[in-house]
Amino acid sequence: MIEPSRDLRDICAIAGAGTSRLGRAPGVSSLDLLVEAARNAVADSGIHPREIDGIICRGPDDIYSHHQMIGERLGINARFSTTVANGGASQILSVALAVMAIRHGLATTVLCGYGRDAWSRTHSSEETRVRNETRPDSQLASEFGPEHGYYGAAAAHALGAMRHMHLYGTTKEHFGRIAVDFREHALRNPDAQMKKPLTMEEYRAQRSIVRPFGLYDCSLRSDAAGAMIVTSAARARDLKQPPVLIKGFGTHNNLRGWTADDNMIVTAAKQSGEAAYRMAGLGSGDIDTAQIYDCFTYMVLAQLEDYGFCKKGEGGPFVASGALRLDGALPTNTSGGQLSEAHAEGVLQIVEGVRQLRHTYPAGRQVKDAEIALISGHGGNQVCHSTLILGRDR
Amino acid sequence: MSDTAKPEPRPAPESVLFWEAARRHKLELPQCSACGKHWFPPTRACPHCLSADFAWSEVSGRGEVFSFVIYDRVYHPAFADEVPYVVALIELAEGPRMISGITGIAPDDVRCGMKVRAVFDDRPGGASVPVFAPA
Repeated sequence: MIEPSRDLRDICAIAGAGTSRLGRAPGVSSLDLLVEAARNAVADSGIHPREIDGIICRGPDDIYSHHQMIGERLGINARFSTTVANGGASQILSVALAVMAIRHGLATTVLCGYGRDAWSRTHSSEETRVRNETRPDSQLASEFGPEHGYYGAAAAHALGAMRHMHLYGTTKEHFGRIAVDFREHALRNPDAQMKKPLTMEEYRAQRSIVRPFGLYDCSLRSDAAGAMIVTSAARARDLKQPPVLIKGFGTHNNLRGWTADDNMIVTAAKQSGEAAYRMAGLGSGDIDTAQIYDCFTYMVLAQLEDYGFCKKGEGGPFVASGALRLDGALPTNTSGGQLSEAHAEGVLQIVEGVRQLRHTYPAGRQVKDAEIALISGHGGNQVCHSTLILGRDR
Repeated sequence: MSDTAKPEPRPAPESVLFWEAARRHKLELPQCSACGKHWFPPTRACPHCLSADFAWSEVSGRGEVFSFVIYDRVYHPAFADEVPYVVALIELAEGPRMISGITGIAPDDVRCGMKVRAVFDDRPGGASVPVFAPA
């Protein structure tokens, strides 16, 4: 098996990171949100926009050749440019492709990012809500699901949650711990979409969506974007920000399907993480903070197990121990994550990882002495996964 | 809006015979002539060995609930009068898994590992949809 080459370790860095406004931005398109995030990432890095010679992004599903439109709006001709389509695994995949492109001389400075207008689309009318939640015809199987009322990403992930509860005795309270802890993190983040505390009592009393999931088990619908500037570590050291090194990455895709084999219990995070650990020369014990793709509470629990932070089946007790809190053993989703900050398919997790490693957050937001961050991306039809390990420069 | 019809199966070319069999209340799946395994959803090559030599064969309809969910929220208006309803992942005795409905039992009583058998739900539009009941 060919692994991401260890000679890719530490050769590139994230030199800039930015977000758009997060939450509700009626009247702003997904493209413009990404442009906003890209402008902020460029300004953050201190590079001149004309230095960007690569664009790798994930487009919203309804926008064809998305990277072309972003390049047009940013006034950039790129040597290397493409749109990737691995759902929530796309953002880390974009960074990995950027490293490979830079390593092989196809580009020097690559913009990666993603933007979506999910809040605006689902709130503009009842018709658009139904169309969104039942997915466009082009994406959805026309049989083997809809005739049974099987709709929505929540149900697919809830199948995994229910089976995990059956196999290991995981409880709703365990899922609740994740929602409550991430909300507590969001309250420390002035940009977060969610501003009110969430107690375990409120979690228990939540509106049920598709059992075992209720409202607070589901990530937010957000208008949100994030972007990063990837360049060589050497170049990054001459720029405005302390470079955040790309130490490792991995991907894995259980294309046989979410419902096949054991994939809804042992997710593609396992092999993706192992590849990233090998490339970085690190293990789960080296991770100071994790930014985990939290489309639903259960997916955090499953990935914590798959990444080796605890054994398979022990995710419930692990999160119940308070491990995910800012002062816990593994401060996780320290921005509030997609459950409470905003949901932009994993790109905001990368931005948060970068910011934690710069050590510029105030006390009460900063993970103390964070040297290494693990970030995950998960998506497609629940089967695509990507892992990024970032570290502070020496 | 609750009188909106439930979505009718719109068979892909590969699954026309599955739905034709269902109208006769038979559960038929493609079975590989080379390796003998069944698969679902229907395609024209065996995902186990990539042989394109296969035949449609009736399966037992026996299986168990691999996992399930209970819908409390209405995603599609046609299911407004159905909530709470169960969608389950059924593992058939022959191996393949399929998303289906559960009938003949209260949602709260469904369990992972529960033995089930296929029954057929005749829809107003003419299709017959395989769902599962406690065995």
